[in-house]
Amino acid sequence: MGAFLALAGRCFYLQYSKGEHYIDACIKQQQSFYPRKPQRGVILDRRGRVLAASNRIAILFAEPRLIKDPKTTSNKLAEVLDMGAHEICKLITESKNPGFVKIKADADENQASAASKIYGVGVQYDWQRHYPMGRLAAHTVGFTSLDNRGLGGIEFQYDTELSGQPGQSIFFADVYRRPICQIRNSKFEIRNSEDGCGIILTIDAAIQEFARAELIKQHESYEAESAIAIVAEPSSGAILALVSLPDFDPSRLAPAPVAGAASAIGAEAKNNDWDPDNFRNRAITDQFEPGSIIKPIIAAIALDAGVVNKHEKIFCENGNYVGRGFGRIGEYRRGFGDLTLREILIESSNIGMAKIGQRLGKDRLYEGLKFFGFGKKTGIDLPGEAEGQLRPASQWTGYSVTRIPFGQEISVTAIQLVQAFCILANGGHLVQPYLVKATVDTKGQIVKLRRPPPAIGYVVEPQVAKWIISDALTGVVNEGTGNRAKLKDWQVFGKTGTAQIANTAGGPLGLAQGRGYAENAYIASFVASAPAENPSVVVLVSLYKPNVKLGKGYTGGVVAAPVAAAILEKTLNYLEKTYR
Amino acid sequence: MMSLFRFVFAVLCFTAILVFAVYLRSANHRIFYNLCTHRAEQSRLKQQLGNKQLQLESLINPAAISQHLQPQIDTD
Repeated sequence: MGAFLALAGRCFYLQYSKGEHYIDACIKQQQSFYPRKPQRGVILDRRGRVLAASNRIAILFAEPRLIKDPKTTSNKLAEVLDMGAHEICKLITESKNPGFVKIKADADENQASAASKIYGVGVQYDWQRHYPMGRLAAHTVGFTSLDNRGLGGIEFQYDTELSGQPGQSIFFADVYRRPICQIRNSKFEIRNSEDGCGIILTIDAAIQEFARAELIKQHESYEAESAIAIVAEPSSGAILALVSLPDFDPSRLAPAPVAGAASAIGAEAKNNDWDPDNFRNRAITDQFEPGSIIKPIIAAIALDAGVVNKHEKIFCENGNYVGRGFGRIGEYRRGFGDLTLREILIESSNIGMAKIGQRLGKDRLYEGLKFFGFGKKTGIDLPGEAEGQLRPASQWTGYSVTRIPFGQEISVTAIQLVQAFCILANGGHLVQPYLVKATVDTKGQIVKLRRPPPAIGYVVEPQVAKWIISDALTGVVNEGTGNRAKLKDWQVFGKTGTAQIANTAGGPLGLAQGRGYAENAYIASFVASAPAENPSVVVLVSLYKPNVKLGKGYTGGVVAAPVAAAILEKTLNYLEKTYR
Repeated sequence: MMSLFRFVFAVLCFTAILVFAVYLRSANHRIFYNLCTHRAEQSRLKQQLGNKQLQLESLINPAAISQHLQPQIDTD
């Protein structure tokens, strides 16, 4: 009787007083947490071709503290994985982490299944980022880190949308850790994971390939230090192609996850893929003095302001213009007498433009440039954009108002130039360059869609913009410095630019001492568009420091114009065939 | 004699019902485990399909085609 009462008392104590404690211990032992890493969103071009996507890979790992005989385990693994047993043994024995050492990333299903049967070896699944097009749109698409965080380009700019939300499942597991029941009333949070959204770009991979292929040829031929090409839709500001050389292959940036691939890393380093300079998207980060390529913009501002008209002749001082407050201005090739505005653009007269600048005055010139988007970021959806340099009008001197009209004393980025020429090409309406067309969720439903803004208001009057492109700039191609950009089937209009590069030699940290321009260092540029009656694309090509010593030339008309023409021709043919 | 058989039959039936009841009690867990297995398999197949699509994309994208055709264009 006493024993029975003792037993009953003990049962009561365990059930009533210690009941909660044992229930908690039981749940803690039985419940299993399964973190769900979301799949990173895809990045597609405008035609749905994959630029970046994630896929699941199986990572084989070993737990060194469980492996009593590394040699035997290594031999077994070597047969399964087709790796050297010695290599595997070294990984296991030399691992600083006794709980985890990666043996092979991206194992196939058969290898994962066979290896997981070996004691001390497990399989972990993770996401790996793939870039099927490699270098093609590397700067635009960007790249990710080992833990799938965006580090550059669209991958960085839209990292939140692409990453999705991690989730967590909690369930009861049996003794073999197999899930048998989902826990609903756990004190831990159950969250469904959300895969990342997809991003559809305005880039067309075909046009990107045209631009890159042509640019690479010229870049190598002239041994230029770097080069850029941008193709844009003037009506909307959508960027169809954006190339920056030298570039890199985003799929080969991550260090190999296991030893044994060290030789591959060395080979890539030799190919300069890991040179930090290559990661720079020069189309938006590099600012430079544009030179003559900015002259049509100034001419449009002056015409719109009414300080000059199309028919009047401006005396260009026969190539030597000297005055108080602005020093001496010369011409690049030869001197000119009286020129109309059209002829000033065709002949690219610096003195003609300087006089137009003087007529405009610093306030109107400054405001006009600001309206065209210079001196501030365009707001393109890429990280690291520079805003260029346009000093406030209050800081200008007599030199400024005569130098800026022919592209000195102002710094611009390539994307700013493209924006300005899109404004001219579309009849004077302001556009903002952009790269992301739409964001879609995992079911393909549109989350955000970028529609071209309505054309309200204009930067310059439509008839001014039309005259500049269809009269003056067609003259540049048909009669002037841009004749290497002529196409058979379309009337091209454009402007050449051969800008000098500021002298950086000799100063502290290589900064310019304010002493002129470097010798034999130029930026050869050409901006073109076609057809003149109704421009459908604007192309800008710029080559930085073509090698003058080759004796092949260095001007925008010689170096950049043929590339722009080739890109334009291929793009227009492609667009005609695609959208007929 | 008959009553003995009836007794044994009743015990057997009772045992079978108990065994079946235990089996039914764990049906939920079994189904949940099968569901998880099938979901994992579905995910694996989806990923395999995704992998194939990526391999295809890397073969037919404009850069790859251009690289493939370039030697032919050069010889022409």
